[in-house]
Amino acid sequence: MTHPSLDTKRRNLLSGIAGGLALGLGAANVKAAPTGKPIRIGSTLSLTGPLAQTAALHRIAGESFVDIANEGAGILGRPVEWVLLDDQSKPEVTRSLYEKLLTVDKVDLVIGPYGTNSILAAMGVAQRYGKVFIQSSMGIPKLGGSYDMQFPASPFGPYPEKDYPAKILDCVASLPTPPKSVTVLTSKFPSAQFMAEGMRDVAKQRGLQVPLYLEYEFGTRDFASIAARVKDANADFLWVGALGLEGNQLLEALKKLEYSPKLHFYLYPAPGPLLAQPEAKNVLSHSFFEDHPPFSNRVGVAKLSPMYRARAVKAGVQYTQLDSQGTGTYNSFHLLASAVEATKSLDDKVLGQWLKKSTVDTVFGPLTFNGTYNHGPDRMLVKQVQNGKWVVVWPRDVAGAKLNAS
Amino acid sequence: MAGLALACLPFLGLPAFYDSFFYVLFYWISLATSWSILSGYAGYFSLGHAAFLGAGMYTSATLATKFGWPFLATIPAAAAVAALLGCGIGALVFRLPRLRGELFALMTLAVTFILATVILNTPIDGGPGVYLSGVPVPKIVESQSGSIYLLGLATCIGTLVIAWVVSHSRLGLGLYAISDDEDVAEVKGVPTFRYKMIAFALSSGIAGAVGGVHSIYVGFLTVGETFGIAVPLSVVLMSVLGGARHWFGPTVGATLITLALFGFASSGQSILGRAVVALMLIVAVLCLPDGIVPTWLKRNRLAALRKMQAPSPSKSEPEPEAHATASGTGDIPKTSGAVVHPFPGKTEAPRVVLSVEDVHKSFGGLQALRGATLDVYEGEILGLIGPNGCGKTTLINMITGHLSLTSGTVKLEGQTISGLPAHLTARRGVARTYQIPRPFAHLNTLQNVEMCALFSERGASSAGEEAMHWLEFCGLAHRAQALPVELNLRERKVLELARALAARPRVLLLDEVMSGLNPSEVDTAIRLVRQIRDQGTSIVFVEHLMRAVVQLSDRVAVMNEGALLTSGRPEDVMRDERVIGIYFGHGHAA
Amino acid sequence: MPSFALLCQALVSGLLAGGLYGLLGLGLSLSWGLLRLVNIAYFALAFLGAYVTYQFGSVLHQSLAVSILVILPCFFAFGVGLHWLFKRFHVGEFGSLLVTFGVAVLIESMIQWLWTADFRRFETPYGSSSFKVGSIFVPTLELAAFLTASVLAVGTWLWLSRTYVGKALRASAEDHEMAAAFGINHRSQSYVLSGLCASYAGVAGVFIALISTLAPSQIWSWLGVVFAVVIIGRLGNPIGALVAGVVIGACEGLAMAVLSPAWAPIVSFSILIGILLWQPKWL
Repeated sequence: MTHPSLDTKRRNLLSGIAGGLALGLGAANVKAAPTGKPIRIGSTLSLTGPLAQTAALHRIAGESFVDIANEGAGILGRPVEWVLLDDQSKPEVTRSLYEKLLTVDKVDLVIGPYGTNSILAAMGVAQRYGKVFIQSSMGIPKLGGSYDMQFPASPFGPYPEKDYPAKILDCVASLPTPPKSVTVLTSKFPSAQFMAEGMRDVAKQRGLQVPLYLEYEFGTRDFASIAARVKDANADFLWVGALGLEGNQLLEALKKLEYSPKLHFYLYPAPGPLLAQPEAKNVLSHSFFEDHPPFSNRVGVAKLSPMYRARAVKAGVQYTQLDSQGTGTYNSFHLLASAVEATKSLDDKVLGQWLKKSTVDTVFGPLTFNGTYNHGPDRMLVKQVQNGKWVVVWPRDVAGAKLNAS
Repeated sequence: MAGLALACLPFLGLPAFYDSFFYVLFYWISLATSWSILSGYAGYFSLGHAAFLGAGMYTSATLATKFGWPFLATIPAAAAVAALLGCGIGALVFRLPRLRGELFALMTLAVTFILATVILNTPIDGGPGVYLSGVPVPKIVESQSGSIYLLGLATCIGTLVIAWVVSHSRLGLGLYAISDDEDVAEVKGVPTFRYKMIAFALSSGIAGAVGGVHSIYVGFLTVGETFGIAVPLSVVLMSVLGGARHWFGPTVGATLITLALFGFASSGQSILGRAVVALMLIVAVLCLPDGIVPTWLKRNRLAALRKMQAPSPSKSEPEPEAHATASGTGDIPKTSGAVVHPFPGKTEAPRVVLSVEDVHKSFGGLQALRGATLDVYEGEILGLIGPNGCGKTTLINMITGHLSLTSGTVKLEGQTISGLPAHLTARRGVARTYQIPRPFAHLNTLQNVEMCALFSERGASSAGEEAMHWLEFCGLAHRAQALPVELNLRERKVLELARALAARPRVLLLDEVMSGLNPSEVDTAIRLVRQIRDQGTSIVFVEHLMRAVVQLSDRVAVMNEGALLTSGRPEDVMRDERVIGIYFGHGHAA
Repeated sequence: MPSFALLCQALVSGLLAGGLYGLLGLGLSLSWGLLRLVNIAYFALAFLGAYVTYQFGSVLHQSLAVSILVILPCFFAFGVGLHWLFKRFHVGEFGSLLVTFGVAVLIESMIQWLWTADFRRFETPYGSSSFKVGSIFVPTLELAAFLTASVLAVGTWLWLSRTYVGKALRASAEDHEMAAAFGINHRSQSYVLSGLCASYAGVAGVFIALISTLAPSQIWSWLGVVFAVVIIGRLGNPIGALVAGVVIGACEGLAMAVLSPAWAPIVSFSILIGILLWQPKWL
């Protein structure tokens, strides 16, 4: 019997290795369902109460993330579980529920709730337990500055009250006949009022007239008198720090006075109703994302968009298009997941450090977190209603269409 | 006590969530209990509790953030500001009798809206909200949530102690009386204005303190959150559910509702959860209309009573005669300093104990009294008669101080009492009964009489014995534990009498005490009135039953159209042509 | 200083808005004043009526008349049923507040269950129409609501003051035992009134659907103002509720035209407090 020659041995070894490599590579190509103990991420949303409409969109987007993740490899190969509680739109409930999530339910990680008040309440709890806190709807960035490990999933930038009005005015200045006067109307909801004051200041700095600056109570039911004053002022541009349905209500009131604004902007409206209203033609609004190129080509959108729509239809929501609002929660999950995958750790300090020095590719674009209040530069957009759809019109380099003049 | 046990909670190493959950529970217990101190005990239904809570929250927040006060120091300031607000409203509103009931509720709601708008539009908040992140939480224990928990616990215990003390004190008894019948309470000697102010100050001050602590719990104050309708509505629900009149009632209601709401926080059940809680609330109220605690207590009391009455049912006994038919005069204490020479015309010159001098009273255009002048002598029984509408009841109302004079004077033993608030007139020794009895509906017979003894000049020292004595005197002792609704008309009228007597008045004004009684009951009543006079009380009684007038009166005064027509001995007055004329018309003059 | 035209416009709009307040407050005022029952559920009922109107109109594409034909009798029956519940369990004034709060939350939950928390808008061709009187625009739907409120208020007032049934109700409200001694059958009349109040809430709901956008949590936003309207207008007085609503609406409108609109609540509520303290004779 002859000894296997060295060559044979080596050949066997090599083929063994090659075979093993082939198997290994093959294994990487075959999608293994996530296994093991789930990674539990906790948060609350205002599922009942006055903020319920928008919270519903956040819930759909969040659940879409979880479904997509669990259809894939999960996070670190483990399934994702979202422990969601209802904070009833009340900040004190939010606070105790986050305490419950962290100390009783013992979730691994948390993300933020919806609404500045609740976010601040939850952030306090996160701070005490040293948890990374990613939130998506705090429109006043400086309020987040008191916690080092708070991260914004929505790129407002550190000074949206200065930067965004500048953007808006650049946008309308590109029209053939740019406006020379602007009426500024706002609800006294903190994040809206904050932006309205900025709008007024920036407008004045740029030499525009501000013939009317009005603040109304959040929850105003009757816009008739306000509409009369708006019509009276008759500025070239109407800017409204509106939330929810206030834009619609104002436009209806204006219609009853037979007045249509030449150019109008509504800050954070509910997306669906404005599309449906005939008076809202060419309305401008704020956005971080719309579901058309180039945004629809960003990471994850291809899967997210149809999943979101399907879930929205099932939930009975009226506006089923993937929208800037709910996507914020999707992005919160995405950022958290990216950090965990990259650092292979569930340690909040490690995650926080990673986020601070990284650029993460998201549906809102590449985001960084090393600036003031942990914000990177802003990525706010201006969108417009065109042919029954929302289309981004500014900045030009990402616009889906040209700005329509009325 | 349970309080000490609860105080150890932060040290037990339980998950911090329990600190938060219990804090929220204490928060609601304190708010609901403080609300009930005015609204439950005194019946002044306030919808403005959010105003005081918010005033406290914003005071604390402003002092801590804008003025750099240490947080613990802001809490008494918050309580003070809220209490001041409450007293301000009270000073304005409590003097106006027409602003009771739902108008008071509306008033307090309006104040809430106004305060909210002011805070929203001025630099106190201005819109962006007030952020307390920079305010250091007082380090009572290691953990922040533990410290806040202890603050909440302290506030809650303090509130419950205050509620217990109030409800078991003279203040509380007075408040309950105000709730049942404020006018009667005032006339029986309860200083209603002062008591209401104290209750309101306590109620609002506590809410302010709760707000102060709460501001650091929430961390970010906005006007919309703080002044919404949720707080006023919730405290009402919690208190009424548990029993608003009982010091522990709101605690039970608050605990149940808070537990229920937290129990359903999970996302899958949020809508269903709300519906279930609502259903529970409906069922609870339908089955326990008085509130949980009072109903439970009532069931226990009835059960105990049934056990007591089982051996010897006393219902079938005939009512005992009025005590004074027995000879035990030693038991009946005389009114101090009484001179028992009742009849004018006797050897000593009669003293005037009550004098009404040229009293006028108009209600708008209607002149009810036009210069009525009347003297009541010490120890006499003066019958006051006249056709309907001649002003008798108005005169009584004015003597007691319930109505103000348009002009003229009323003097008691030479000292002017007109113009005094009714409770002071009562203290000086003027008592009255009501034609349609007005007992305090929630107090039993003994408590009704005790109340009046408590608030008389003698005060609290022997109120219980006094009350029992007068009940025996009037023959009502066997009904001491019965509630007024369980008494028949005769018993209620006798209760009226007992209440008036409990104050040991110098002058007793009886308003048609005989009406509705059958002849034998009238006889008993006449005997009773004589016995009262024999103890040294001067009596003025308004009556239509002529037999009683003739039998009882030493003198009779006749009023007509707001002024005194004549007075004199009963036989003489009855034959006076003018008197017959005003009753029967002049054609009938004999 | 705002122009005269602006002030007139604001006044007109405010008056009409007040009509809706009066309409919403009608049922509450009557049941509180005449039946001694504080019924918060009317707010939720009104919104249920609004959602039903929306459902028939927007989703099932039926005419408005169908909604009304369905709502009125069903709500009437609901009112009767609710009153039976109160009578059966001897519910008093405070108790009715709690029970109807529970009912309101139940209805709100049902609404959110069926229609989600999302905004619902019943679009109609005449939704934003208005006609001009001089230089003042009068919005059509609000005017219709105002006129309906007036008709119902006056009609109810006539019913209460002229007919036997109405007088019987008022007598019972004042002194229950005495009225019963005179043979007034409180029971059946109070059922009728309760059913009627619920139907009024339904009518208010139809207009709410036509005029505003719906969300379940809005049920509570009307509570404060309508409570004020009802108490100012004197409980049990249908015309009082309407007048008070109109006055408050007008004050709000004018205040919003002259001041920063965020100050408007102070004006209406200060006037309220002023009226309460001073209480002129004509009120």
